[in-house]
Amino acid sequence: MNFLFAVLGQTIRNLFRTWSSQFLTLVTITLSVLIFAFFSLIYTNLLNVGKQLGDDLRLIAYLDEEPVPALQEEYRQKILKFDAVDKIVFVSSKEAFQRFKKELDTDRDVLTDMPENFLPPSIEVYPVRSLDSLTRIKRFSDYLQTLPGVLKVQYGREWIERFYSFVQLMRIVVILSGTLLIMTTTFTVAHTIRLTLVSRAEELELLRLLGASGTYIRMPYFLEGGLQGLMGSACGLAALYILFNWIELRFTGSALFGIFPFTFFSLPIICTIIGLSTLLCAAGSFSSTRKIVQV
Amino acid sequence: MTESSRKNIMVELIKVGKVYPPDVEALTEISLSVSPGEMLFLTGKSGAGKTTLLRLLCRIEQPDKGLVEIDGMELGKLSRHKVQQLRRRIGMAYQDFKLLPERTVARNIALAMEVTYQKKSFIRRQTRTLLDRLGLKSKARARTADLSRGEQQRVAIARALANNPDLILADEPTGNLDAESTARVMELFDEHRRRGATILIATHDPSIYSDSGHRVLELKDGRIVEQEKDHESRGEKE
Repeated sequence: MNFLFAVLGQTIRNLFRTWSSQFLTLVTITLSVLIFAFFSLIYTNLLNVGKQLGDDLRLIAYLDEEPVPALQEEYRQKILKFDAVDKIVFVSSKEAFQRFKKELDTDRDVLTDMPENFLPPSIEVYPVRSLDSLTRIKRFSDYLQTLPGVLKVQYGREWIERFYSFVQLMRIVVILSGTLLIMTTTFTVAHTIRLTLVSRAEELELLRLLGASGTYIRMPYFLEGGLQGLMGSACGLAALYILFNWIELRFTGSALFGIFPFTFFSLPIICTIIGLSTLLCAAGSFSSTRKIVQV
Repeated sequence: MTESSRKNIMVELIKVGKVYPPDVEALTEISLSVSPGEMLFLTGKSGAGKTTLLRLLCRIEQPDKGLVEIDGMELGKLSRHKVQQLRRRIGMAYQDFKLLPERTVARNIALAMEVTYQKKSFIRRQTRTLLDRLGLKSKARARTADLSRGEQQRVAIARALANNPDLILADEPTGNLDAESTARVMELFDEHRRRGATILIATHDPSIYSDSGHRVLELKDGRIVEQEKDHESRGEKE
């Protein structure tokens, strides 16, 4: 208990004594976490959007003639052989006509003289709902095109490809900002602690002469690093939360927010970000004390 | 030497030699035993080897030859952890004080007790008592950089005594003190000796060891040239 009090007391004194450099380090960590968390938030929300899009995602393969039940089963087997799907729906010419009629609503009169089988029969394939389905859909489309009797395969190709490219870009940005976060926090904390240690060389020497243990000398700096990580990441996430709420408030009712409800990080993700930042900063501090403080 | 007689020795040096580069012989063939509860004065001119001897005892330095033992432990063979433990049992008042100039007097003294994980209440009480005894009560909150040399010296002594150590090493502890402060310091040292602490004092000041009745050891060019038990024995020799 006395050890704990002694170490905590030393840590608090260290923090107060070098508050200006501690503050700068805190700001650096806060900004790093803010940048990383900002892109991560966009990325995770994009994943959600992708999943939501996946709900409506389907491939439509138009057939040259109505498939008999045996042929339908053959199509089903071939499709399932290629990849897992949520469901396969065969739409006859008549069903297609009825749907079209329904969609036209008050303008259905235009179909009055049209035969009920003027639309081609089709197979609607609903891939498994995930963002990966977006990446697989082109291959799926190419495959369906090779099936006998398929005239044309349709899906929102251009849009999906653009969306996919954007998600890929965001993934790279998140990885880069994550790397930046790791490097910034570790090096900044390590550098701050190193400067502190060098400026306190006299004190460290005295502590050694007084018989202070390695733990007593190193622990305050280790805690200092961890504390900087904890506070920096908490401040960064708090700033992002404020920003997120402001954007949400500002754009309430906009079409985008109406279609895709954007959400903030869940509690486990918040805890993970704070925990990792704390660990990184403590590691940076540990590396400095290990190099400089030879007890 | 028998096992029981060795147990009655707190400090022992056997044929200790220390050479500083390139070839300055700081100590040569020093053999010495100090019993627990004994006060020993090391005298001699500057450069005689007094400080080096004290530095060997708290393992700031290691001898090139010979053996140094504290309380039966050979210092050369101690692990890092054991050295830390040993230093917590030693109170050293350095000639250059080794105070933290930007810290207060009380903090400088408390530091020694914090590394031994003493309770806060003990630290506060002990700091107050020592400052009172050394005439520094009003300076507790002053920065040590703002003190006079004499005051700084007393703070360094207070820090050395703070943990009630088994072994007290004092390098010129009265060099900057007036007669009254010197008397206060010597009174404190004597109290610690009476409770069982072994005390080695390196000094130029004959006023603190003459008439003291304690052993005086004179060093010259790194060698022991004279050992006297007290003032009377010196008188007999003369």
